[in-house]
Amino acid sequence: MPISGVVIRSQPRERKEAVCYLAALAGVEVYGSDAEGNIVAVLETATSEDMQELIDRLNKDTRIASVGLTYLNTEDEAQPVAEGEVTPRPLGFRGDCK
Amino acid sequence: MSQTRRDFIKMAAALSAASYVSMQLPISSLNIARADEGVNWHRGSCRLCGVGCRVELGVKDGIPMGLRGVPESRTNFGYVCMKGMHFWKCMRHPDRLTTPLYRAKKSDKFQEISWDKALDLAAEKFAEAHKAGGGAAVAYYGSGQALTEETYFFQKIMRGGLQSNNVEGNPRLCMASAVGGYLSSFGADEPIGGYSDIEKAHCFFIIGSNTAEAHPVIFRRIMRRKLDNPETVKVINVDPRLSQTSRIADLHLQFKPGTDLSLLNAMAQVIIEEKLYDEEFIKNYATFKKGKEEPATFADLQTQLAGYTPEEVAKTCGGSFKPDDIRKAARWFATSKGTVSLWCMGLNQRKQGVWANNLVHNLHILTGQLMKDGADSLSLTGQPNACGGVREGGGLCHILPGHRPVEKEAMRRQVEAAWGVPAGRIPEQPGLHTMAMFSAVNEGKVKALWINCTSPVQSLPNCNLYNQGMDREDVFIVCSDIFPTLTTQKANLVLPASFHFEKTGVYGCTERRSQLTKKAINSPGEAKPEVWMIREWAKKLAEKLGDPVIAQCIKPFEGLEEGYALPKAIWDEYTQKLTAGRDNDLRGATYEVLEKMADGVQWPAPTTEFALTGGTVKKFVKGRDPMATTESKNDLPYQFYGPAHADRLLWIWLHDQASPEEVPDGEYPFYLSTGRIIDHWHTMSMTGRVPELLRANPYSFVEVNPKDAERLGIKPGDMVEIKSRRGVNIMPAKVYAGPVEGMVFAYWHDQHGDRMINKVTKDAVDPGSKEPEFKICAVQVKRLSGPTALTPYLV
Repeated sequence: MPISGVVIRSQPRERKEAVCYLAALAGVEVYGSDAEGNIVAVLETATSEDMQELIDRLNKDTRIASVGLTYLNTEDEAQPVAEGEVTPRPLGFRGDCK
Repeated sequence: MSQTRRDFIKMAAALSAASYVSMQLPISSLNIARADEGVNWHRGSCRLCGVGCRVELGVKDGIPMGLRGVPESRTNFGYVCMKGMHFWKCMRHPDRLTTPLYRAKKSDKFQEISWDKALDLAAEKFAEAHKAGGGAAVAYYGSGQALTEETYFFQKIMRGGLQSNNVEGNPRLCMASAVGGYLSSFGADEPIGGYSDIEKAHCFFIIGSNTAEAHPVIFRRIMRRKLDNPETVKVINVDPRLSQTSRIADLHLQFKPGTDLSLLNAMAQVIIEEKLYDEEFIKNYATFKKGKEEPATFADLQTQLAGYTPEEVAKTCGGSFKPDDIRKAARWFATSKGTVSLWCMGLNQRKQGVWANNLVHNLHILTGQLMKDGADSLSLTGQPNACGGVREGGGLCHILPGHRPVEKEAMRRQVEAAWGVPAGRIPEQPGLHTMAMFSAVNEGKVKALWINCTSPVQSLPNCNLYNQGMDREDVFIVCSDIFPTLTTQKANLVLPASFHFEKTGVYGCTERRSQLTKKAINSPGEAKPEVWMIREWAKKLAEKLGDPVIAQCIKPFEGLEEGYALPKAIWDEYTQKLTAGRDNDLRGATYEVLEKMADGVQWPAPTTEFALTGGTVKKFVKGRDPMATTESKNDLPYQFYGPAHADRLLWIWLHDQASPEEVPDGEYPFYLSTGRIIDHWHTMSMTGRVPELLRANPYSFVEVNPKDAERLGIKPGDMVEIKSRRGVNIMPAKVYAGPVEGMVFAYWHDQHGDRMINKVTKDAVDPGSKEPEFKICAVQVKRLSGPTALTPYLV
């Protein structure tokens, strides 16, 4: 289950609204915000794919200018992949190129 | 992972993020220590673009498990994009090449062989080719992703050992026009300033660059500057396509592809007409040129530009903006307290790429928007080491290490002396540039080719044509890489290479900044660092050719351990012997210094004392650039130096609009342009193997303007054929008001034969830089069917 540290940037005038929106989302914990519109949050999801989807969703929200990743820990996922117990999922598409 | 440990990690993540915006959180930093139990963090650079973000790779029990940015780094201040956050997942990927593979014929199946046998074969085939055809029959084709030590060592063996200047690299396909532009406008390659200008700029002129997707961390800095100063900072975006970059622009000038030379001239015309130029700056530091040996005057420029009025040029550019928009752009550019231009492949990958670069530089020289904080003419690079390894380390056919032109005898003698090889060993003529090299492969003139860390089968323009040569049975191809690619499929010998953080070496990013990444984990299987491969191959080559000079080339590196001591010795030789006194003087940037610095060193940095300050932030400024001071010829604040301009002046060029090689006509009525998407990089051999990135964009599509789509009966998701005089692609349509009417746009990452857009692109080259015109060609666009289910494809 990956955990990310992010700085989410919002317009200063929309910061409170953005914080409320984020606080209501599953997998998002807001730790603080400042007058410049920076919001510090931690994202926690079941898989890395879910993490990507969550970040995409945040990036597309009109109240959010950008999501800046600063930290990613995926130790739960990395070890079984490294040891060959789990194969990264999108490998089932091999075939002959035309 | 226990609940307690997860809590510690979450708090460490929050503290990490908070530290980047100086936010105090009521969490003890002891949580970081608890979260880090058993984890070693190894500092290095990101692998996947030219920005040079500094990161730390988390390794637990020998397994990479996480990544974090380095807040003290002046490249990224700790921020990392999604590609960067995930690149390390390639390290333990099951598709990694782990054993040398060989086949005598390209129609055979690969067999696993030992390293000894593999390098023996590589040496035998190169020796055979050399005996039959000399230096002309062998070639090295490298990469802007190879470490500087690797590029430098490869070219040393090729030039000093095999007497061949057939040394090239994929930066020819992306940066060569920028090199030509800097050399011909400023007399020296690479930018004067760098990223630190972003936070001081008042105007951004972004042309031919989708910074938001290709360089997201730099875009974040630009966006932050704009959002913090919405009224006083202006962003001008100049591009035939509305992109993610355009969303923060105050002004977007959408022009017909290929007409931007007119647009840049029109801005210069306004600057002169409205007397917005800096007369004193021009008088002190600039001269005018019609040709290299053909001087001109300010009056000549004025006369030439008279034909580029905003009224005329707005029409030339297709009429999608008004003449006054050109005036507005010129005024913002000229009168801001500091203007930074940023561009990338939109200017470089053009038949007039050098000219387009010159015309951007012209605007900066005319207005004096150079050397001061917040002003720079900044070419963005696409690869992590196009600058450091290939441009500086001798990785192109016409450039020796330390920005030395091959054709200058004195320069060749300096390099030969440094290597201890006989004078005259390096051929006096430049070798084959990339397109000429692969043409020579087509003709069977090159008999042995080593391709390192790149996939020309997919990345060359008009690739169907050049792939024929790589299929020839009389051309022996060695490929060193980390994953199977479309190019390893054409090889006789595939050598498994160590990945980033599995070896040690230096990357030099966009802003003259060299940064070290040390080995943090072991390579999988039998994968080896390239520097080891080169040394062991050259040793065998010396024996097979009975040539003591080849042995001399590797003598300083004999017996050194390949994880650290070997690359360090190579870096020491390169920096201490070959950058001394050159404009990219890196003598102060020793491994010891680079290990101490969070974000490396910007050259020139002639001494360790100076390097420990971070190096030269602004080139040519006396008091800030030590070489500007030592080279000083007068009392003026700036001193230019470098290999290209004996007059030590900035050159303002008189260039007219010139058309692309191929423009639409009745038969092929649309422009095609190509580019990047945020989640993928280059030929997708790495990002396509990271599930999170692949899932976001599993295959390429073509963007069609809604008006064109309506005329052609194309609906979103329909399968569309894109056909040029060279090849065909079939891919789904995205109907989107991005490309200007009459133009379609496709991504170039997809490996599938139906969607490999370089089958369609054109291989015309800029006459100066020899960089191909990927960005513009003429195509037919036709609806084939409704939406079809597709699956992603990787070899």
